[in-house]
Amino acid sequence: MIATMERLHLTHPLHFIVGLTLWSVWFVTVYGGHAVACAVIPPDPEQGAFTLVNAMLLVVSLAAAGLLATLAWGCCRIAKHHQGRLLFNAVVSAGLYLFSALGVVFTAMPIVGLPPCL
Amino acid sequence: MTPINRDVPQDGDAPEDPQRLHNDLHEIWGNPRGLKALTIVNHSTLGLRFMVTGMVFFLIGGMLAMLVRAQLALPGQGFMTPDIYNQVTTMHGTVMMFLFAIPVLEGLAIYMIPKMIGARDLVCPRLTSLGYWCYLFGGIIITFSLVLEMAPESGWFMYTPLSSSEYSPGLGSDFWLLGITFVEISALSAGVELVVSILRTRTQGMALHKMPLFAWYILAMALMIVVGFPPLILGSILLELERAVGMPFFEVAGGGDPILWQHLFWLFGHPEVYIIFLPAAGIVSTLIPVFAGRPIVGYGWVVFAILVTGFISFGLWVHHMFTVGIPQLAQAFFSASSMLVAVPTAIQVFVWLATLWLGKPKMKLPMLWIVGFLVIFVCGGLTGVMLALVPFNWQVHDTHFVVAHMHYVLVGGMFFPLIAGLYYWLPLFSGRMPSETLGKWGFWLTFIGFNTTFLIMHWTGLLGMPRRVYSYDTGMGWDVFNLISSLGGFLLSVGIAMVLLDIALHFRFGKPAKHNPWNADTLEWANTMPPSAYNFVSLPNVDTRHPLWDNPDLPHTITEGRHGLAVASHGRREMWGSDPLTGKVREIIHLPDNSWWPLFAALALSVVCLSLLTKFYPLAGIAVVVAVAFLLRWSWENGAHPKAAPDARVNPGDPPLHSRTMDGPGLWAMSVTLLANGSFFLSYLFGWFYLWTVSPEWRMPETSPLSLLGLIVAGLALTAGAGLLEKLVRGLRQQQDAGLAAGMYFISALGFVQVAVTLWVLLGADLAITVTTHDAVIMVGLVYVLLHGGLGSILALLQGLRVGYGYVGAYAPFEPVVVAQWWRYNVVTFWVIVGALAVLPSVIGG
Repeated sequence: MIATMERLHLTHPLHFIVGLTLWSVWFVTVYGGHAVACAVIPPDPEQGAFTLVNAMLLVVSLAAAGLLATLAWGCCRIAKHHQGRLLFNAVVSAGLYLFSALGVVFTAMPIVGLPPCL
Repeated sequence: MTPINRDVPQDGDAPEDPQRLHNDLHEIWGNPRGLKALTIVNHSTLGLRFMVTGMVFFLIGGMLAMLVRAQLALPGQGFMTPDIYNQVTTMHGTVMMFLFAIPVLEGLAIYMIPKMIGARDLVCPRLTSLGYWCYLFGGIIITFSLVLEMAPESGWFMYTPLSSSEYSPGLGSDFWLLGITFVEISALSAGVELVVSILRTRTQGMALHKMPLFAWYILAMALMIVVGFPPLILGSILLELERAVGMPFFEVAGGGDPILWQHLFWLFGHPEVYIIFLPAAGIVSTLIPVFAGRPIVGYGWVVFAILVTGFISFGLWVHHMFTVGIPQLAQAFFSASSMLVAVPTAIQVFVWLATLWLGKPKMKLPMLWIVGFLVIFVCGGLTGVMLALVPFNWQVHDTHFVVAHMHYVLVGGMFFPLIAGLYYWLPLFSGRMPSETLGKWGFWLTFIGFNTTFLIMHWTGLLGMPRRVYSYDTGMGWDVFNLISSLGGFLLSVGIAMVLLDIALHFRFGKPAKHNPWNADTLEWANTMPPSAYNFVSLPNVDTRHPLWDNPDLPHTITEGRHGLAVASHGRREMWGSDPLTGKVREIIHLPDNSWWPLFAALALSVVCLSLLTKFYPLAGIAVVVAVAFLLRWSWENGAHPKAAPDARVNPGDPPLHSRTMDGPGLWAMSVTLLANGSFFLSYLFGWFYLWTVSPEWRMPETSPLSLLGLIVAGLALTAGAGLLEKLVRGLRQQQDAGLAAGMYFISALGFVQVAVTLWVLLGADLAITVTTHDAVIMVGLVYVLLHGGLGSILALLQGLRVGYGYVGAYAPFEPVVVAQWWRYNVVTFWVIVGALAVLPSVIGG
């Protein structure tokens, strides 16, 4: 895991946009996937939130949040070893990954309680 | 031109004769007068033109607002008919959003960015000029519709079916769709070149984390324009096609869906709010440290907040559509993300407050407007969070509450910081100071007038008054609130008039400003006041966020030519091209001289716009060809062309000219352009899959009307051409250009094969484009790849010719790299189109 993190060059400013891009991809996937699922396999409204659609959306969300949190942790770890520009890049990237992870969790919370297609 | 043959001065060394250097630079960069002033491409002149034109449109938009308030001041007013009232409200929103807010902020960025990052101009000066002319001509066309009483009347968001030909049979919607698309060329041009300029032309040593915060904000804004505007351009093209030709993209009966328009509009429309807010916030983050007398608290936090805002603001568009019948769970996603965007905004507010708290703020005139901004914008932000809540949103949807919120955010979040910035930079523009007395009167009248108008309007909305009604009956309980709002509106107008009067008078009566009058830290104040056409005699090394605080002598040493590129003997306009991350100098970027081509191209595009408007299609076709010819002729004067940089000699120790490298700014400009193009393409794919999934009357035929074999043959020709181009580029990287011209001609021929076969597939498909949306969407997709293939072929052909003329080769290998990017993009989009339009429907079925 640590070796993988090092290969990602987490001090590169490209990571300023990777986390938020992942958030965006997750958001589009969940919104689009939800729309398609409701068009193709709409569950019985009686089921409430306990549906296959919700379960799939939740799994995707947990995976996205986990990935983003791991990258945030990686940036924090790398930041300790650098100064100046590289430290700045790693710290800002860590914050952005963390925000993106929390953004996934916050935006996905309604999946737990709402029926998908009503 | 006096030849200057001196060595490059090292940082701090004095050149031989600074005055002679200044004169030579002036001869190269100076603006012509008379008719030739129309050829100017200089960023300072064009930035000012953008801002002045934007302010003229602001006055027009403001007068329209006053008409609205006069009509609503009392119940039962009737001095405007409902039809005229609808035109006035639609044009008020349209003018303010498209012809004032975006262009004036872009103008400020165009003017300020090179000065702040230590450059002499923007990286694509002719593009700046094209952008300005498109903005001016497009703006005039749209505004002229008011004079003809043919203005659009469906609201500034042009919802279908109200804006469709059935309910808006006149030319109003066409004025909007064609005019706004024309103006958006301007926004995209500025977006592309601001991104590339900020990333690639910062002065030596200015690493990304040392960049002024304003540049961060403009970078985010420009990228958001690049990604955010294409969905609206697509929507406008589709709606105009529906109105002009009858292709039923938004008509349910044909298989379309009016909600698709709302998606495309708000995919643009919500980021638009942040596109307007971010540069304004950049002004705030620039001014507060100066007037607090200390560096901003949490530079990294602000960068974080800018980036978060830039992304999250694209995930909110459906909160404008909470009442259209979307499932609760989807609404909850957008409700949550709408609340999420408050976080970066709050971070910035706390950073600004902390900076003021820890500094010693001086309440000069610009700071008054900043404080006004903080008060108003925070209120607007809070009502924004309220509107993010679905049940509350349902209650106040389409009421004056939303109008009030929107104005708190836009006027508070954009207009107040803009005026703060204008007052702050006024001495730089003119060399004179504004009047504190007149300025304070202007501020207080504006502040009180604004709140009187719009604070009250929240209550009018909560009492149930809907937006866009031209009149109302007495006894609804809205009378007194509307009267107060209208009085406030006129007070606001008086305040703004006073500000404009102050600015106008200061050019004649303002006290001469001392150098760097506010004791600012950023590089624009190292210019002369007003600045010269080339900004800096020499380009300094800057490795601090506060160059003028850390080295107050910098303006003098710059003027004395003690820094980089203090040479003019070559007669070129040039500046540093630097590494986007570290700011290390990589090449010398040479810039084009003044040119007629941008004006000519914009004039030809105006003819396209007007002839489409009047449905004179043959003329439109001819004008398109003429415009493309002008643009290609413009592109001819590049690289080693005699009018660009035929002589590539540089002083010893200097890096090479960008056109003699493989990584000039043109490559970056092409990448950013393709980003915009990609956004357009993804919006198209979204439309295809959206209609396929959601549209109630969508009809997918049993078998695809497209010949898969034909498409595969066309795709293989395209892919082979792109592959060969890659091979030639690899050769150029190794300084080998044998067979380059022949290779380019062959690639061009392969491109034309792709175009011919795709055209054959299109004609053979026998599409019923006015009957089914399915066929209409396919038609648009195939025309898209045809146009791209055609342009790719022409570009390759021109490269072959340029090799023959000696403008391209191993010694000037830059241009094929740029063309290769276009071909790469074409290959990807072509195969995606084949997959989406021809293969997937056969696999999945309708």
